[in-house]
Amino acid sequence: MRSKSRTLTILVIFTLVALTVAYVLPVYVVVTTSLKTPAEISQRHYLLLSTNLQFKNYAQAFKLVLPALLNSTIIAFSVTALCALLGGLGGYYLSRTRTPFSRIFFIFVGVAMYLPYQVILIPLVQLMAKTGLALTHFGLIGSNLILNIPFASVLMGTFFLGIPRELEEAAEVDGASKIHVFFRVISPVALPAYASVTIIIFTQVWNEFLLALILATRYTQTIQLKLTEIKGSFVALYNLQMAAALITLIVPMFFFLALSKYFIKGLLAGALKG
Amino acid sequence: MRLSLILTERRNSFTFLCPSLKTHSTQKGIVVGTSNRIETVQAKRRKYVRSKYTLPEFLVFKLPLLIFVGLLYGMLVWTIVVSFSNWQGTAPNFDFAGFKWYRLMVGLDRFQVDVANNLKWLSLGVIPTVILAIFIAYLLELGSFRKLESYIRTLILYPVAMSFIVTGTIWSWMFDPDKGVLNTILRGVGLGALQGRFDTNPSTATYWLILIFVWQYLGFSVIILQASLRTADIHEMTESALIDGASRLRILLQIIIPNIRSGILVLVSLLLISTLKVFDIVYIVTFGGPGSATDVLAFYMLIATFQQHLVSLGAGIGVIIFLLAAIIVVPYTIYAFRKWFE
Repeated sequence: MRSKSRTLTILVIFTLVALTVAYVLPVYVVVTTSLKTPAEISQRHYLLLSTNLQFKNYAQAFKLVLPALLNSTIIAFSVTALCALLGGLGGYYLSRTRTPFSRIFFIFVGVAMYLPYQVILIPLVQLMAKTGLALTHFGLIGSNLILNIPFASVLMGTFFLGIPRELEEAAEVDGASKIHVFFRVISPVALPAYASVTIIIFTQVWNEFLLALILATRYTQTIQLKLTEIKGSFVALYNLQMAAALITLIVPMFFFLALSKYFIKGLLAGALKG
Repeated sequence: MRLSLILTERRNSFTFLCPSLKTHSTQKGIVVGTSNRIETVQAKRRKYVRSKYTLPEFLVFKLPLLIFVGLLYGMLVWTIVVSFSNWQGTAPNFDFAGFKWYRLMVGLDRFQVDVANNLKWLSLGVIPTVILAIFIAYLLELGSFRKLESYIRTLILYPVAMSFIVTGTIWSWMFDPDKGVLNTILRGVGLGALQGRFDTNPSTATYWLILIFVWQYLGFSVIILQASLRTADIHEMTESALIDGASRLRILLQIIIPNIRSGILVLVSLLLISTLKVFDIVYIVTFGGPGSATDVLAFYMLIATFQQHLVSLGAGIGVIIFLLAAIIVVPYTIYAFRKWFE
């Protein structure tokens, strides 16, 4: 028994160390690299922090990505807001209705949730070109919206399933319409669910790359696209690349670290029930 | 008012449910009031919510979702149509071409490389991740290490918030054969012999890309399995098995894993779908190269469509990706459906 618990302790310590190295090392190196000059990088002391921290790398990277940062912010916020609203409404329908149609419809929504983007890309581009939306932010907002609405609906629906029906029954028996019930009774109770879903959708849209690659113009370039451009055009300037990468991930990382409870709840809801 | 509303709306269902009440009330008019009250109580007990939608309710709740999902499936059908037509070059051309592009596709060397690479992704992106995740989730669950949990959680979960583009940029720097971090560190600790060419060696490049994926998804996998472990509530079983002298490995294999089967199934499905869709990592780290060594279907679809302008071929590859995804997604959705409507 004693030896068993000792091997266990060794195992745990080993795992801890291995995981710490695997997950801290990349970020640590990225941070130190982003604060060096190219000359310092070529000395190859990656684990040492520079003695002369180059914060101007960040200033330079920030200047490069600023327009893209604004575009991403506009797109991600619009899509998230619309997804929360429409996903909430759709999710309420999916979670509260038990008709033959709603059952079949659920399967369709469920499959749509995981549709690989490639399979709708060609018609999407045609659609955006025909409507002229491709040249504006609305193109990317619309495309992201179409692809995220099923996911948002199912996610909100799973949360609604957990809300006891007595609440709505009382109101409905009093003659209130479903719309009234939804906005006045259910939504206030479901605020934490909205928090989870908005964080997940925001992160997803912020991190989205394929649609941006195909649909974005010079004026609607997103931050992910800008990062690939920086990586491609400043091949040797790893300090700049790393600074830009850190700027790109800072917004979702803020959500993850500051609101991790909601973030994890959203991840789990998307995985275990949807 | 209240009572009559319920009654007019639900009479049919109630007479069906409580035939005895009905006969009761028709036989003895005097009891009607009482039975009505009973019905009201039962209406509440049944947790009944009106399932008919009025027009404004339909417009608000159903219509948006119907439109969006309808659009998605419309586009899916459109892609299938394009894959059977003869669209090459920039101008659309919808002449029927039968299976022309599918036949062409199957014969392409690049397509065969892609399928082989996709199989590598599907197996090596999923199996090691799941095994590692089971192991870590189990370690975290072993009572005395609970304090470390939030530390480990944050430690391995943070990549979830990162995009593949960011991870790809970071790992390109780690992998760089000449100046890169991994080789430099290997040299630094005197293991220069282990230096690798990582993503620039055609025969092994895909494996290094898969490693990035595993790194990124490990934390996500662990929290899913942890949640599954918590709901399975297997503490008592493991305790008594321990007292009986079972080894921890045996407990893991014979108690833990069978009890979190559904969690593992969910995780495997999600990981399979994610590996099938992966294209960002390939795009940013190797751009399909060296040559087309790390090419995958999801990446070639873009190249065929938007670079080679073989739009119908691209649509065909899209359809293949969809069919592969459907094999995973449809059973998964039916499973979710059962849970949802239970």
